[in-house]
Amino acid sequence: MNTNQRSWISRNKWIFAAIALPVLAVAWWEFRPEKLFINEKVSEAAPFAASGEAQPVYTGVLEGKAHPTSGRATIYQSPDGKNYLRLSDFATSNGPDVHVVLLKADEKAVGGVAATGELDKVELGSLKGNQGDQNYDLPAATDLNKYQTVAIYCERFHVIFGTSQLEKF
Amino acid sequence: MVRGWKAVLAVAGLAVLGAVPSVTLAQDNMQSDSMKKDDAMQDGMKHDAMKHDDMAPDKNAKALFTGTFHGKVHSTSGRATVYQGTDGKRILRLTHFKTSNGPDVHVILVATRDAKDDANFLSGNVERIELGKLKGNEGDQNYELPESVDLSKFQTVSIYCERFNANFGAAALAKF
Repeated sequence: MNTNQRSWISRNKWIFAAIALPVLAVAWWEFRPEKLFINEKVSEAAPFAASGEAQPVYTGVLEGKAHPTSGRATIYQSPDGKNYLRLSDFATSNGPDVHVVLLKADEKAVGGVAATGELDKVELGSLKGNQGDQNYDLPAATDLNKYQTVAIYCERFHVIFGTSQLEKF
Repeated sequence: MVRGWKAVLAVAGLAVLGAVPSVTLAQDNMQSDSMKKDDAMQDGMKHDAMKHDDMAPDKNAKALFTGTFHGKVHSTSGRATVYQGTDGKRILRLTHFKTSNGPDVHVILVATRDAKDDANFLSGNVERIELGKLKGNEGDQNYELPESVDLSKFQTVSIYCERFNANFGAAALAKF
């Protein structure tokens, strides 16, 4: 029995090879395993000329914490290097002594609602209005690699109305 | 017994030896193919850029929607933004973009808020719009949007492998 099987295999090894070849080729084409190690890098230019106007550098969507808050927070950089924060489609609740501040992303208060103790923050000014588009100048020294969370913050009650995690635009 | 295994090994060895050159040949072909395509694309882009130059730069292109990618089947990161030029044409631009390379990968728009529900999105019941083959798995890239696309309906960009019906990663577009 064994002898017959052996000889059958060795006699027909070319048939095996002929079957294995296309099977392997198809498997390769399907899975393209080499692509796991090969990157295709592209770098297309923007479909328009960069204008002389301020360009967005960071942006994020506002989420409500203590009060429903919505809209978008975007940091623009002017050609002269100045940064400003713009709130658009913005709405939050009105309140006493409400400020716009930048916080560190790992700030504990960002996760919760009440901000106890001293907040490590960059003050951008009193909230100009609880609805509508508005701009706030950023202090020149602001380190945007550290302070990447915009917070609508009620100083009087140490309550964070809403926040936005900024991400690179 | 021993001789039987040797025969099997020989067959396997032959198969591998036979397959390797054919694979490398095919690979070479593929590469030159894609190189050609790239050249063609770059030429196209140059022409495009020239056209823009002739027409004066479109300084008023506006960002309409934007969102960040989260990985699903493969880690995917970066930003997807839809711009509209003054001529009304809309373009999807991927920036800081990175995903894994793969076979037959496409950029599509999906008629869902976010492609978090993979099962739903992959079942084929969800409408999708093809924007083209992924130009590269890394780097900035642009895709033209068909004129009729309703972006209040198609709110998710997906990096989608047609061959395996796999959603590499997705970005939910929100108003900019």
